[in-house]
Amino acid sequence: MKMTKIYEGSHQWIMFGRDEGKPSNIIDTNQYVVRTANRCLLLDPGGAELFAPMMAAVLHHAPVDQITDLFASHQDPDVISSLGLWDQALTNAKLHAPAFWEGFLRHYSCESIEYVGIPDNGGTIKLESVELQLIPAHYLHSSANFHVYDPQAKILMTGDVGAAIEGPDTPVFVENFSAHVEKMRHWHQRIMPSNQAKRVWIERVRNLDIDILAPQHGRMFKGDDVKRFLDWFDALQVGTAV
Amino acid sequence: MTNQTKSQFIAVASITSELSAVMVVAKEISLAAANAKAIAFRAGDKAKGFQPITDFINELAKETIELVTNINIYALVLYRLTVNEFQKTVAYNKFELAAKLAGDAVYAKSMQEPVEHAKLSMQDCQRQFKRDVSQLLGQLEAVMHHARAARVIAANSRIEASQAGEYLQSLQAVAESVDKAAHTIHDNVQRCRIALSIYRNS
Ligand SMILES: [Fe+2]
Ligand SMILES: [Fe+2]
Repeated sequence: MKMTKIYEGSHQWIMFGRDEGKPSNIIDTNQYVVRTANRCLLLDPGGAELFAPMMAAVLHHAPVDQITDLFASHQDPDVISSLGLWDQALTNAKLHAPAFWEGFLRHYSCESIEYVGIPDNGGTIKLESVELQLIPAHYLHSSANFHVYDPQAKILMTGDVGAAIEGPDTPVFVENFSAHVEKMRHWHQRIMPSNQAKRVWIERVRNLDIDILAPQHGRMFKGDDVKRFLDWFDALQVGTAV
Repeated sequence: MTNQTKSQFIAVASITSELSAVMVVAKEISLAAANAKAIAFRAGDKAKGFQPITDFINELAKETIELVTNINIYALVLYRLTVNEFQKTVAYNKFELAAKLAGDAVYAKSMQEPVEHAKLSMQDCQRQFKRDVSQLLGQLEAVMHHARAARVIAANSRIEASQAGEYLQSLQAVAESVDKAAHTIHDNVQRCRIALSIYRNS
């Protein structure tokens, strides 16, 4: 599992992905970790297949008993089907996930982990002195969906928004935006159902100060590419399969 | 899923299906008893020896139904235990793999406790499963016992039926159906026992 530190300040953000041991028939995912002095939050911790390499990678940054929080942007298996395993490994942890999906996500088994349901209008996760904002992103693509914004690190973790499906050796940042567009088009048109939801989200997100836009698949966007992405997404017609 | 886990799932699932067949047959016996009672009543003195037998058959059928109902509840517990054991085993294997992959990571050692804990709860499940299987086998033995008793009664019924004059044929039919039912119960329960016996506490 490749690890890339993307923010270092009073706390850290680390991106995990491009796992070499991953079976080729499952989708590659990016996991993000927010690390404070004594706590550790995993954002979209990944599928059951990925549990062992992910856990092993996290152990380079935090001991098991300091993994206190998990966040699931939505209910997809590539996001959180590892829940039942984290549930057995962690003795004192919370899962922050859409309240709407609670009855669904509990199918993965969530007994020792406390399920903290995020209401439709969003909320926050407090990790020691760091406060992360949970930004509603409903219907992008899941009907109950949230993104995580860190105003201090200026990072917006966007789940499936901004994703692209590429090979295992792909760089972690977009280097040539116009070349990257073609890798994103079909994905966004096919997986995102609602132009209206997209418009509302873009309006909301344009008000945030963002250095890095961090999707769950593919490459992150930094600097001017963040605005380029929002403009491109704004103009794109989605929900095209019908 | 390993073959061992797969066959454990199959063994537990087969109990439920075999037992639902036993239940149907036990209800048939109960019906045969009611039927025999009516015939014996009509036959009066000619079927005097048959009357206590019908009560006995009825009782036996009722007890079998009760036993099987209990065993079914037990089988469900066993199924949950199997699911649980499977999850615990998967977790243990993944935790071990994580510890191995972590190699010389700064916090690799912190994985030891979850690994140990997962191992213990997996072994706990395995022990409890064996214990519960032994108990279930005991209950199945009781059903077999009932089935054997029913066959003895069926044999007696045939003798009594032979003295029932014009009712001979209908009483003999009763004895026949009890015998057949007892046979089916015996066979089904025997199959359950064979499927489970490899998991018994040794
Ligand atoms: Fe998704
Ligand atoms: Fe995804």
